[in-house]
Amino acid sequence: MNNSLLVVLIASGIAYGTPLLYGALGELLAERSGVLNLGVEGMMLVGAVMGFWAEQRVHAGAVLSLIVAVLCAAFAGMVMSAIHAFLVITLRASQIVSGLALTIFAGAAGLSSYLGSDLNLADVPAHHAFHAVFPSSLQNWPIVGPIVFGQNPLVYASWVLVAAIAYYLTRTRPGLNVRSVGEAPGAADAMGINVVKYRYLHVLAGGALAGVAGATFTLAITPQWVSGITGGAGWIAIALVIFAFWRPELCLVGAYFFGALQALAPELQARNISLGPTELWTNAIPYIATVIVLVLVSWRGARRRLGAPAALGVPYVREEA
Amino acid sequence: MRVTVERRLRQPRWLAVVVPVASLFVALCIAGLVLVATGHNPISSYRRLFDAAFLSNGALDQTLIAATPLAFTGLAAGAAFRMRIFNIGAEGQLYMGAIVGSAAGLWLGGRGGASPFVIAAMIVAGALGGAAWASIPGVFRAFFGTSEILTSLMLNYVAGYILTYLIFQSESYWRQTKGFNATVFPTGKPLPSNAEWPTWTLHTQGGIALPLGAGVTVLAAVVLWVLYRRTRFGFEVQVLGDSEGAARYSGVRTRRKILAVMAISGAVAGIGGASQVGDFSHALDGDPNGLQKQSYGYSGIVVAALARYNPFAVLLVAILIGGLDSAGNALQGADFPSGLVGVIQGIILFTTLGGELLVRHRVRLVRAAESVAA
Amino acid sequence: MATITLKGITKRFPGVVANDDVDFEATAGEVHALLGENGAGKSTLSHIMSGLYRPDEGEIRLDGVPQVFHSPRDAIDAGVCMVHQHFRLVDRFTVAENLILGDRRGVGRKFQLDPGAVVEQVRMLGERYRLPVDPRARIWQLSVGERQRVEVLKALYEEAKVLILDEPTAVLTPDEANTLFETLREIVAEGRTVIFISHKLNEVKAVSDRVTVMRAGKVVATVPTAEATPQSLASLMVGRELDVTKRRRSAAPEGDAVLEVQDVWAPSYRATTSLKGAEFTVNGGEIVAIAGVAGNGQRELAEAIAGLRPRTKGTVRIGGRAIRNGDPRHAYRAGLGYVPEDRLGTGVAPNLSLSMNVELKSHRHGTIGPFLRMSRMRERAEAAIRTYEVKAPGPHAEAATLSGGNIQKIVLAREFAGNLKALIAASPTRGLDVSAVDTVQRHIAEAADRGVAVLLISEDLDEILALADRVLVMYEGRLTPVDRRDDVDRIGVLMAGGA
Repeated sequence: MNNSLLVVLIASGIAYGTPLLYGALGELLAERSGVLNLGVEGMMLVGAVMGFWAEQRVHAGAVLSLIVAVLCAAFAGMVMSAIHAFLVITLRASQIVSGLALTIFAGAAGLSSYLGSDLNLADVPAHHAFHAVFPSSLQNWPIVGPIVFGQNPLVYASWVLVAAIAYYLTRTRPGLNVRSVGEAPGAADAMGINVVKYRYLHVLAGGALAGVAGATFTLAITPQWVSGITGGAGWIAIALVIFAFWRPELCLVGAYFFGALQALAPELQARNISLGPTELWTNAIPYIATVIVLVLVSWRGARRRLGAPAALGVPYVREEA
Repeated sequence: MRVTVERRLRQPRWLAVVVPVASLFVALCIAGLVLVATGHNPISSYRRLFDAAFLSNGALDQTLIAATPLAFTGLAAGAAFRMRIFNIGAEGQLYMGAIVGSAAGLWLGGRGGASPFVIAAMIVAGALGGAAWASIPGVFRAFFGTSEILTSLMLNYVAGYILTYLIFQSESYWRQTKGFNATVFPTGKPLPSNAEWPTWTLHTQGGIALPLGAGVTVLAAVVLWVLYRRTRFGFEVQVLGDSEGAARYSGVRTRRKILAVMAISGAVAGIGGASQVGDFSHALDGDPNGLQKQSYGYSGIVVAALARYNPFAVLLVAILIGGLDSAGNALQGADFPSGLVGVIQGIILFTTLGGELLVRHRVRLVRAAESVAA
Repeated sequence: MATITLKGITKRFPGVVANDDVDFEATAGEVHALLGENGAGKSTLSHIMSGLYRPDEGEIRLDGVPQVFHSPRDAIDAGVCMVHQHFRLVDRFTVAENLILGDRRGVGRKFQLDPGAVVEQVRMLGERYRLPVDPRARIWQLSVGERQRVEVLKALYEEAKVLILDEPTAVLTPDEANTLFETLREIVAEGRTVIFISHKLNEVKAVSDRVTVMRAGKVVATVPTAEATPQSLASLMVGRELDVTKRRRSAAPEGDAVLEVQDVWAPSYRATTSLKGAEFTVNGGEIVAIAGVAGNGQRELAEAIAGLRPRTKGTVRIGGRAIRNGDPRHAYRAGLGYVPEDRLGTGVAPNLSLSMNVELKSHRHGTIGPFLRMSRMRERAEAAIRTYEVKAPGPHAEAATLSGGNIQKIVLAREFAGNLKALIAASPTRGLDVSAVDTVQRHIAEAADRGVAVLLISEDLDEILALADRVLVMYEGRLTPVDRRDDVDRIGVLMAGGA
């Protein structure tokens, strides 16, 4: 039963979907404050390489090494996002171009490869990696076993994160404030909320989470470093935020859905089930689904209730400094 | 003391030229610092790059090869971005142009048509393929108000998967099925010789090879400039790009214009795709590590932004960036830092974006009025 | 509770001194009106008082204590709250959420939100000050009048000692305005201070205790309202004796029907603004005015005629020709000119040159195939600048760099060109200084003298009295004609929905 297609898909979906989830949660925070950051892929890659590097350099036990590695990855992602934040918040540059510039700068043909090859991280095995923490007796429980107990700590941490962010946004004062910054920065400013500070904080937080997402690849999923290891996950994360109507709990559902789709084609192949151009569909469906969601959400009636934060993508300028 | 930023009432012309050049210089300095910090010599690295891009034997040819697709996608991005329609989908539109263009080449070329005719058909087919793909986000934007940024971006991925599918995961018309190599590694069917695009040798400096595609980019730049600045269509598109309210008020058919601009943008990218096949690869490249790794579409946006969306500047910037790219490829090895090209390009973009602020605004230090007046 | 005093306030913007050594004081318990035309500096002054702008020179004191406001929040914490003309509300939030936004006291200090507590308080406040509104409603669901109530409630919730209201009646019916005035009187009876910014003389007389008149960035005078008359205030405002009601039209016009609107219905996002069965005729040489508070369907009417809004029923004819539904180009070719309410957002393309703006609709004429004739465009723009005395560096200047009055002149230059048969002018002088108002009204009157059929839509009763031959009143999407064009009482009653 634990080897049935469905169970394997869900379990793999969770595993593959975790970096998507981290990336999406980070981007969600940034977008809720009104800033679009298209550089997620670049930030993930830098987080991936720096996390791996830290893990190689710290000569300590597994737990300490990995914690330091994740923190290092988060910090690296944050530094990348700081460039974008400075350009678009303080210098009011185009958010689209800046995000793309960040992807080019940090991406597979940029800084992340530069650092990876300069630091000789290719073809090096990881000393430590994230593994499942629960004993195999629990992991063998029917259905729940592999799905819930077979995951690594980063997955569990992401569940806590989803709950925390959801609570933050809907039930706390700073969460209300950041939502107002993303919807109507003029109103928020007039009420004394520091728009610039909130935007910086949330973009930086987004960068940190993107870094952690990258580390998930090099410290859990693979675990090794290769140039371009994220393979486009950053772009999926951006799509995921929209697909999830900018809600953290839906990001979780979407991430696992997209993750399961990624696992579908190889699993079908392993079981000798052929459904024609399956791989094409499973690869393409997340993107097509997102396009459909985008169109639905922009329909006039839905826009007010479900749509993007109203001020997303628009630089905020107070009438006078 | 406070820093204030005020919008300029008038933008002096010289500023629009000095600032980008200064940004470039600052970028090279910053990148130089990065190099020094990681134990490389910036001067020698830059010299090797410049050499590999423009000076050494055959460098210019390689640069033009790299610059041609960038010019297409740069023109495509500029054509749309200038009108505040953010077509991020040049990547996917290029793929679609390659698919449809190579189909035309294979089919018409196979029937033994005259070369100019076949090539012209490929150009048209590429344009149609790109335009059609761009029309999807175009329709959503025009009729539903959906942001074209994300829809066009998503479709890039779909286009990439279709491209891979045609060569790697199916026995499609484009797939090479004959010959020994076909069973070892999936490749595209090679174009017949009358579908291959010519390359002319310019008799200067020991002969520069100018691919047909490069010539087409120059033509496209001229056409786009005239279209936008000297025709009724361009007038209305400029109005639409400036103010949707004013456009609707003056009777511009905004939906048609949005569709048209997206289609034009996609068409130019599509011709770029056809050029990739006709000029260079001579077969459809479905390898996920091939054409799809080049990210010409995204780099094109960078080129367009650096060129401030002016078609002629796009051509120049494409040569610059193309030079960087081809040099990076040529030099890649144990002693030359890989990823450096992306780093430099990224920093150039950052400084240019930052410099933009100076063109539009004036930054001053002001004494704050905190004390009580006399 | 609080007396607010300003001394020597100076504020400069690029190219203009908005406030020039201003002294101003509003005492506790009074409604103090701040009067001046657009550009006089009253908005700037109020923004300085409420912390949005920082003065270049001068000081602010509350009850004698010097204050420095680094941001609007500092001002609110000190007790100075502004009720803005363009509401600073978050559409997607509820009323309660908007009220607690940024609040630093009590409930506000808590990290966790407690929506229930606020709801009750909002209800209480609403009842006490006669500003009823559902705390759980989302802002996008509320009417304009209700949104203003939320803004006032926000100030009261923040326990404001000084309330500044910026042109609050612009969006209210006369009845709602009266209710607001009563609310203000109750607020000051508690010892608070209200500063009331306006450019409407009759309101100032109705509600204030003292009035300070500003002109060109300086304070001209501060007088007790009881001692002032509309004439004296107006002359202080503009610096010369002004005939307040100046009639521009002479003989009754005699022309054929040019603009015929028959049973036109047009949709709107709210039922109260959708157009219902508009029916009237404007003859050549006649000025027909549509009076009414903004937001009763005037925009829908103008857009339905001009082809910018699809009609669900009815026909529009210009010079006998039926205009195709939803086709602004067709209306233009039939001889319709439209001066829109929103000058900068609709009437011109702000970042394009004056040449292009002058040719905005006519660029299709006289082209060589698809190609424009650039030299001719420039010539036409130069001619327009000359004829209408537009202050601009040249035809290449960007439209947005011009002042409001000059932008309007460009719009007029464009609309009056060609074979103009009918003109719609929507709030044509809103936001303009006195001399620009004069110019624009003169041009409109002259157009009518030339035989153009003019439909004037305006909220400014003085303007209507000056220009109109006939008056119709718009209320909640329906038009009612008025027998005598100077019957102000009847017009006022109809504007408020009476019969």
